[in-house]
Amino acid sequence: MTAWIDGQAVERDAAVAAAAELLAGARSPLVAGLCADAAAVQAAFDLARTVGASVDPAAGAAVYADLGALASVGAMATTPAEARGRADLVLVVGQAPWTAGLVPDLAAGDPVRGRASGRPRTLATLGGTGDGAVRHVAYPAGEAGIPAAIGLLRGLVAGRVAGPHPLADLAARLRDALYGVIVYDPAEIGALGAEMLTGLVKDLNETTRCFALALGDAHQGRTAMQVAAWSTGQGPRVGFGRGRPEHDPWRFDSGRQVAAGEVDAALWLAALPAPLPAWTRTVPSVALLGTPTGSEARIVIAVAVPGETAGAALWHPGRAAIAWHEAGAPAAAAAPDAAAILADLHDRLAAAPMRAPAAPTELSASC
Amino acid sequence: MTTLTLRAAPPERLDLAGITPAALAGLSEGEAARLPVGTSRHGLTLGDCFAVALDGADELRIVGATDRLDRIGAGLEAGRIVIEGDVGQRLGAGMTGGTITVSGSAGPFAGTAAKGGTIRIDGDAAESAGGAIHGAPAGLDGATLLIGGRAGDRLGDRMRAGLIVVKQAGDHAGSRMIAGTIVAEVVGDHPGYGMRRGTLVAARHGALLPTFAETGRQDLVVLRLLAKSIAAHSPEAAALLRGSMRRYGGDLATLGKGELFTPAG
Repeated sequence: MTAWIDGQAVERDAAVAAAAELLAGARSPLVAGLCADAAAVQAAFDLARTVGASVDPAAGAAVYADLGALASVGAMATTPAEARGRADLVLVVGQAPWTAGLVPDLAAGDPVRGRASGRPRTLATLGGTGDGAVRHVAYPAGEAGIPAAIGLLRGLVAGRVAGPHPLADLAARLRDALYGVIVYDPAEIGALGAEMLTGLVKDLNETTRCFALALGDAHQGRTAMQVAAWSTGQGPRVGFGRGRPEHDPWRFDSGRQVAAGEVDAALWLAALPAPLPAWTRTVPSVALLGTPTGSEARIVIAVAVPGETAGAALWHPGRAAIAWHEAGAPAAAAAPDAAAILADLHDRLAAAPMRAPAAPTELSASC
Repeated sequence: MTTLTLRAAPPERLDLAGITPAALAGLSEGEAARLPVGTSRHGLTLGDCFAVALDGADELRIVGATDRLDRIGAGLEAGRIVIEGDVGQRLGAGMTGGTITVSGSAGPFAGTAAKGGTIRIDGDAAESAGGAIHGAPAGLDGATLLIGGRAGDRLGDRMRAGLIVVKQAGDHAGSRMIAGTIVAEVVGDHPGYGMRRGTLVAARHGALLPTFAETGRQDLVVLRLLAKSIAAHSPEAAALLRGSMRRYGGDLATLGKGELFTPAG
């Protein structure tokens, strides 16, 4: 079973034809999700350009919490592999990094390369409850919350906030470290918090070395970010309605667009698991899914699961880069790659140009 | 008076950047009707969506406006735009002069990067009114922004110059401020997060950041001057500024040359 229309199993070709028909007639289509390998995400951008769609990854909010800070003040960042090799102080901010599996990995060893080589590694936390199995020094964030605590820490590090304070000790540790790494989840601390954290890292680099280490998201948002950068030169929330890629994180937020009734057809791409938004059942939608049941949207097409039933280029959190992932268990009759379905859709829609808009007199009436 | 009357709710967001009294003054009604305003592949024009009546005046009236009309008055240099209804995002973005008034409410980023002129919104304003858009160097940049109702979070975010007067603002008012002045009756939690310089005045406020330090009661001539300068816009705000004030300096997380004034006692 690989394709469905209105919950009824159909031939894949019929589903693709119906999907092309749905998107061809749309005024403001949306291509969302992008929880897939780099080739599929690239094909989704190509399709969006052809049909004048806007694009928003499932990881949109998380991606923009970090991208906002990057666009405003830049970044001084490192990768998990570098942190493991070089850091003598790892500060874990908030709770989310503890669920990502990265922390025990960083806690396991001491720095073996660079200026801090030979020193022991200290693990400290700010505003997280930590994990009893991993030895760490815990500092509470206080009632004001994590972003406020990051600001306070920054003031203490720079000497603008003086006097005895529970975080003064942590500030001293950061200043004394030869290679500090601050691990955080942009989605947890938000754009303002991420920008403040970058400021803290920059201040520390006046006298020593310190780097930010953002957790990637679980839905290939970093892949979408990279593909968007090389395809459009901008972030992933772009719209092609006027032919050129317009970047507007507010306007092309898919949740906002759907709530405002601005979307009349959508394509949801989740070759890897991603939370299905409620709108796939209310907006006329096509869903390309790695593990479909058939009822997720008006048209559902099964695709290969990248890195499992097919080899694919996916985000590698350890290397902080897009890297090739071999197929884990290639199925004998595996579903086609999402990229192939999207390319098929693209070819059908490029060959049949947009339906001519209604005559000007009718347009006036409809507008 | 030049008038654009929206015929029906637009089927997509419209971009009205550059539709100013000066830009329309040199055009015939036919030419104006062909100006592109659509944001989809359908290529909607001004005439598709609005009944256009031009008379070359320096006042433009937009009747029946909705929250799908983005960038009204963007780049305005002179003249007056009067909007009956609501507006979308980036009202008056980058304007350098003139006046914009809105009878309803505004979407996010009203007055972003506006260097001069005055924007008056009778209703509410969404998040980041007078704030910077993604990656932009500054929000409000010298213009005056008056909001009769409630503003969303991050009012005046990264603003660099100018004045905002508002009844009520959400959380993080004056976040990342570079400079400028915000006067509000009420602001939410954590005003001035990351502000470098600039002045916040609020009759009431939510939780303050631990990086704002009280610097005592102040009786500053500059606040009297400010009261005088905004009395015409907002008598309530002027009255607030004439009282005795307690001053907090911050945000000490960053440069710390900003300040928050709130009535003493």
